[in-house]
Amino acid sequence: MKREAGLAVATALAAAALTAVTPPTQAAAQSYWVYVAAESEDEVSLLRYDAGGDLVVEKTIPTGWLAAEIEAPHGLAMDPAGEYWYLTLGHGFPNGRLVKYETASDTVVGVADLGLFPATIAIPPHGALALAVNANFHGDHVPSTVTIVDLETMFPIADVVTCTMPHGSRFSADGSRHYSACMMDNQLVEIDGATLDVTRRLDLIANEPAHAPMDGHMAMAPPGADCSPTWTTPHPDGSRVFVPCNKGDVILEIDLAQWRITRRLEAPGAPYNLDLTPDGSRLLATLKGSAKLGIWDVDTGVLLHLIDSEMRVTHGVVATPDGRYAVVTVEGIGGDPGTVEVIEIASGTRVASAQIGKQAGGIALWKMEG
Amino acid sequence: MKTRSTIRPATLILALAALATTQAAAQDVARVEVTPATLSLEVGETATVSATAYDASGNVVEVPFLYFSRGGRGSLAVNRTTGEVEAFKGGEFEVMARALGPTRISGTMTVNVAFPPLDRVEISAEGGRYYVGVTMRHKATVVDEADDARDLPVNWSTSDESVATVDRFGVFSAHAPGEVTLSATAEGVIGRITYQVADNPVTAMAVEASQGRGRTGDVIHFTATARDAGGSTVDDIPVTFGLISDPDAVATADFAPAEVDEMGRFVAYKPGVYTVTANVPGQTAHATVEILPRHVAEEVQLVGHAPVRNVSTSDLWVWEGVDGRDYAITGTHSGHGSTYWWDVTDPASPVLTDSLIVDARTTNDVKVSEDGELCVISREGASNRRNGIVIVDCTDPRNIEIISTYDDELTGGVHNLFIYQDHVYAVNNGIRFDVINIEDPANPHRVGRFELDTPGHAIHDIWIVDGIAYTSNWNDGVAVIDVGGGNRGGSPENPVEIARFRDIGGATHAAFPYRSPTGRFYIFMGDEIGAPGFDGQEAGRTPEFMSGYIHVVDFTDPENPEEVARYEIPEAGSHNMWIDGDRLYAAFYQGGLRVLDISGELKGNLYHQGREIAVYKSYDPDGVVANAPFTWGPQIHKGNLFFAEYFSGMWAIKLQPRRTLIP
Repeated sequence: MKREAGLAVATALAAAALTAVTPPTQAAAQSYWVYVAAESEDEVSLLRYDAGGDLVVEKTIPTGWLAAEIEAPHGLAMDPAGEYWYLTLGHGFPNGRLVKYETASDTVVGVADLGLFPATIAIPPHGALALAVNANFHGDHVPSTVTIVDLETMFPIADVVTCTMPHGSRFSADGSRHYSACMMDNQLVEIDGATLDVTRRLDLIANEPAHAPMDGHMAMAPPGADCSPTWTTPHPDGSRVFVPCNKGDVILEIDLAQWRITRRLEAPGAPYNLDLTPDGSRLLATLKGSAKLGIWDVDTGVLLHLIDSEMRVTHGVVATPDGRYAVVTVEGIGGDPGTVEVIEIASGTRVASAQIGKQAGGIALWKMEG
Repeated sequence: MKTRSTIRPATLILALAALATTQAAAQDVARVEVTPATLSLEVGETATVSATAYDASGNVVEVPFLYFSRGGRGSLAVNRTTGEVEAFKGGEFEVMARALGPTRISGTMTVNVAFPPLDRVEISAEGGRYYVGVTMRHKATVVDEADDARDLPVNWSTSDESVATVDRFGVFSAHAPGEVTLSATAEGVIGRITYQVADNPVTAMAVEASQGRGRTGDVIHFTATARDAGGSTVDDIPVTFGLISDPDAVATADFAPAEVDEMGRFVAYKPGVYTVTANVPGQTAHATVEILPRHVAEEVQLVGHAPVRNVSTSDLWVWEGVDGRDYAITGTHSGHGSTYWWDVTDPASPVLTDSLIVDARTTNDVKVSEDGELCVISREGASNRRNGIVIVDCTDPRNIEIISTYDDELTGGVHNLFIYQDHVYAVNNGIRFDVINIEDPANPHRVGRFELDTPGHAIHDIWIVDGIAYTSNWNDGVAVIDVGGGNRGGSPENPVEIARFRDIGGATHAAFPYRSPTGRFYIFMGDEIGAPGFDGQEAGRTPEFMSGYIHVVDFTDPENPEEVARYEIPEAGSHNMWIDGDRLYAAFYQGGLRVLDISGELKGNLYHQGREIAVYKSYDPDGVVANAPFTWGPQIHKGNLFFAEYFSGMWAIKLQPRRTLIP
């Protein structure tokens, strides 16, 4: 192994904050490994893509405790050092769990209790904590929490109340700020990476600072102005965060210094998950409603490519550390298998795909070698 | 609130300032020291602990810390960034300071919070009066001024050892008439109870069995009567029961062949002769009973198989259609949202009549209205995550048609449901059940809902009989809820809880009521527990394994339900069940389909009592997993026993008496 790609991700993100934007590496034969959760199959698959070759399912890892109940593996995150990977299980009794796996052996080494239907996980560069959003997709519309877990002991330290149906848990590149979106309150919430307290909220409809929503009092969007933000992706330069409005067919760029929306990128087709290439030059968005992946030039805001997926319901996306590929998960419908697709970012073409268990969703890039 | 000033204040500002520049330094952390190493606090006091990180050379490394206490939740509050701690309850707690860096190094210190002074020692005793010779155990509960029970050693004593003595376990023995005080002392606090020991008046003892002969599994009641010299009964003297066993056959290290409890309830697991003794000081009586084999086993005849081999099968429902023919509906699990209808008028040759695919991955539950006209399908895994239920016209199972779907606030997935008197009771999101009126099936609408009030409650299943709902609630056990027939004012619009019982184990997955001809009312509560081992299976290629058992709870007095029996298969776990007459039909996953004689009163582990009438394991070489019984749920219909097999579809068997061997 030439280097640990998980660590490389963190390193690259940090470096990008300090250096000028660089074009994607014109790498030769590289190999990339990703973990993908199949939510309706109770499985996680490990896939390898060799640049120019096939996308191969290397291993399938059963998840959950009960063979006869769907426990819904949803969010995935890699330990920055690449030693562990983390998975949320959405359905529990009733609360979900965060499960810690040792990488490569893919064996469970720890479990922490979370809240109702935990979804995405974020781990800061130091790797000591995880912040898991308890999305509570299907419960009453009351403010939910972000659970902070000490990853060494897998002890849930605190539940920070944020908003109704939080989703899209992500840290800034330097780990100083955490962001999540409130699907039912139309808010962006910022948590301080050191104090782990909520520091700011932004009303994504009114484009002004917001207060914490109260029980039973969701922030109702005016007619025709709904957003339902489903994700957050901080730019590696530390100046802005991108948030997709799943119901608004737009991706918002929020300037962190001004704490307001400063740009709107049209994204027809219900944008859902986002990622940025490590150099911050390309924005990737799954368009859940139209089963496409969109690729934007971040500087110009120009939509460069719209790539059809082989199946319906595009879900997750992650850029490879060299900025060369986007790896996309596609849920499928009913008995459709889940699909993982590799898209060459520069050309906007699908170069490989593979089928895994039903409802492919959460995705985390483990490493890049070559 | 007092604050200890000897502790260094936290360095929050420093930590915040350092955060952005600590990544490189944090990698050098080799050790974290938390000061002070120990700290003593009173309840209500605060103090601040502080952590310092060092590299391998002993140089201080500037790095932020996260403070927390794993064992102190609710007892010790720890500010995660400042390290300030506040004591709420007594005890010893470890506070950890995690260096927020890639080395994940942490340091720990100990906070000792003084317990409040003890307030009292409470003594509880078994019932009955103390006569000379009587021995009974007492228990002591130590309670502090915060009204918290404390786990402290207790010293037992009596005020006059010539009257009574007590051992270190609180077992109190009366020796002579007189007044005596029993004391339990913990750290100088004394609890007392005073007895008047009387002369033992009993001069005669008798015990009578409710029947002199029985079969394994029969519960025989032994009634003891103590009399004084005048022939009057002495009702308040404690009676203990003993057992002398002489089973017909004994295996080495086998389980006990019989048992008798403190109420004189006896049950035998093996045939033989058993003598029950009833004892009071100075007097013993005994009665002997003969126990014969139960001999209930029957032969199983395979009738038919409706194979489903492309997807796992979930629940089933069998009913007589409006045309007088018999039909079955089967759901699917982790598949493509399909449901199948079968003509099972000839159960030897089930005929697939129709099928339906809805936007879902799992149609776990399928139910049919009492009039046989409506089928309702539960949905999980819909691509739009709205799930809910699908209402289908199944008047003609050869041409089923969707009437409506309903998903309003049912988006979390409906896992189980029940239809009762024009209402669908749908388990929603694993948290509550919603009541959907389907009088007009084209326009279903919610009329009520019910949710437990316990923290972290969850629900898995619901079954309704005579206007009473029985819900299975994992850790909260079974809840009995009036939805119109419980005489508690309940209705579909206003479900009213009647009773609740949490069994031993807390994994209640399914519940089925059973009103026994004995007059007792039982609820059978089935566990669902994953097999030990988390990652030892290769999904889709090898059989799955489950554990857990069926708890039998006597609910005759709903105010005082009692878990009296269990049905535990050593090699498998329970799933769905059905009761018809005095037979339990129970699916036990890899343990196959089991038929159990539940006649008479129930006590002990029914598995060992010879009550199993039949065991059937279906093997399908072409199943989703080949030759892997994984029995999901049964239903008896017109003498045929239908059951769903997870890996192979629906099967039908028939039971018949064992034929006598002809020599």
